[in-house]
Amino acid sequence: MSDSPFVVVEGLSFSRGDKDIFSGIDLRVPRGKITAIMGPSGTGKTTLLKLIGGQLVPDAGRIWIDGHEVHALSRKALFVLRRRMGMLFQSGALFSDLSVYENVAFPLRVHTNLPGAMIRDVVLMKLQAVGLRGARDLMPAELSGGMARRVALARAIALDPELILYDEPFVGQDPISMGVLVQLIKRLNEALGLTAVVVSHDIKETLSIADYVYVIADGQVMAHGTPTTLDVDDDPRVSQFVHGEPDGPVPFHYPASDFFTDILDSGGRQ
Amino acid sequence: MIQRIWRLGRRGCELLEALGRSGQFLLQSAVGVPSREGWYLWLRQMHFVGVLSLAIVLVSGLFIGMVMALQGYTILVDFGAEQALGQMVALSLLRELAPVVAALLFAGRAGSALTAEIGLMKATEQLTSMEMIGVDPLRRVVAPRLWAGFVALPLLTIGFSVVGIYGGYLVGVEWLGVFEGSYWGNMQASVDFVGDVGNGMVKSLVFALVVTWIAVFQGYDLIPTSEGISRATTRTVVYSSLAVLGLDFVLTALMFGEFS
Repeated sequence: MSDSPFVVVEGLSFSRGDKDIFSGIDLRVPRGKITAIMGPSGTGKTTLLKLIGGQLVPDAGRIWIDGHEVHALSRKALFVLRRRMGMLFQSGALFSDLSVYENVAFPLRVHTNLPGAMIRDVVLMKLQAVGLRGARDLMPAELSGGMARRVALARAIALDPELILYDEPFVGQDPISMGVLVQLIKRLNEALGLTAVVVSHDIKETLSIADYVYVIADGQVMAHGTPTTLDVDDDPRVSQFVHGEPDGPVPFHYPASDFFTDILDSGGRQ
Repeated sequence: MIQRIWRLGRRGCELLEALGRSGQFLLQSAVGVPSREGWYLWLRQMHFVGVLSLAIVLVSGLFIGMVMALQGYTILVDFGAEQALGQMVALSLLRELAPVVAALLFAGRAGSALTAEIGLMKATEQLTSMEMIGVDPLRRVVAPRLWAGFVALPLLTIGFSVVGIYGGYLVGVEWLGVFEGSYWGNMQASVDFVGDVGNGMVKSLVFALVVTWIAVFQGYDLIPTSEGISRATTRTVVYSSLAVLGLDFVLTALMFGEFS
């Protein structure tokens, strides 16, 4: 059991309206490793995390977390399973009526019977890890975007979950915080053996800590492998993405008609 | 033509689906034994929903009582029946005005605030993050607000009636000179505790359930954008007001109509 993957995604399909986001993707997230999910904007990476967390229901396919089929669980059982998971949201999603301290203490207060003094110690340890122990009395509205996300990270790891889903953890961080966060994610994984899924655009940082990488585009898994194998991948699409080249088979532009025809054929329309 | 029928059918299906969703939503959030923290959250919401609505409800009650006494006096005095002023003010307030006007004010003051608050929590992913922490937002966020609304509105209605009757007394007795003994005496003789006070409270309980249910469901079910929040807030006030007025007719017919 301990060698089996922590998260298994099989034949996952999902669509929003008429737009197919995923059409039959398979993923395996190994236990105790950092798995990165990368891909161009709009490929549904955040949607994938929400599907894994059981917040969205797939059109087809199944997802298992540690042997539990997520979408076959009752509402109550799903909430119990989520206690073993942490998720860092892109926006931070802090509770706006609670202070930084209370936000981090929230999971501890609702899921444990720890005495106040012990909760205080845990909260301060987690805030120290993200460098915001001094900001404990601030309200979320007083934080910058990057700080809010670091508080959200402290809250996500408050209960020392077995699986953490990071949604764009590096966005909006200055170079110093970025370096610390990269190390923190790595350390959490090495010291506590956490399984992590990192969704990110920041190729350099993500590849430096990931054990395995999936590149998703056009609703399919375009490539997967270790960072080293992806770096030397022959597929021009993978190479363009991994090396961040503007010209290549993956277009920068959202699908549209020819630019010059569009400009000349204005006719007062949009 | 076919298009129109198709659209009408789709609207009907959407409406039924929304009704089903809201029914399930009510059951999942309102039914259950509250934890110790649940009581604390409920008390907090009683403050936001109930105590903070006190001022608008009581001031409105006072003025409505005063206006009724003034209007009633000018009509009753023509028939030499101004002694029945207390009876008129009390019965109108207890049976109709207090439950209905308090519910309409409650929908505007507290209902819209509930929708906007829950809607903004949804738009900023606070509800989603709560779910991911393993806490059910229906139990933690919605249930205390629902129960606070159920309890607060009937209490506000009692306050509305009391202050309204006092407003009638100020204008009728203190200003226009109706005999104080007949103001209170006629009121005491004609108001039936079960038939008038009791039925008024039943109305208020029904309105409390409907208004709070609409408000929290609209907040929870909205499209998480600024436009979505604005639309849902408007819908809360419009739907609650219409529901209160429509239900008032049905309840009045059942309670005081020929066939009751």
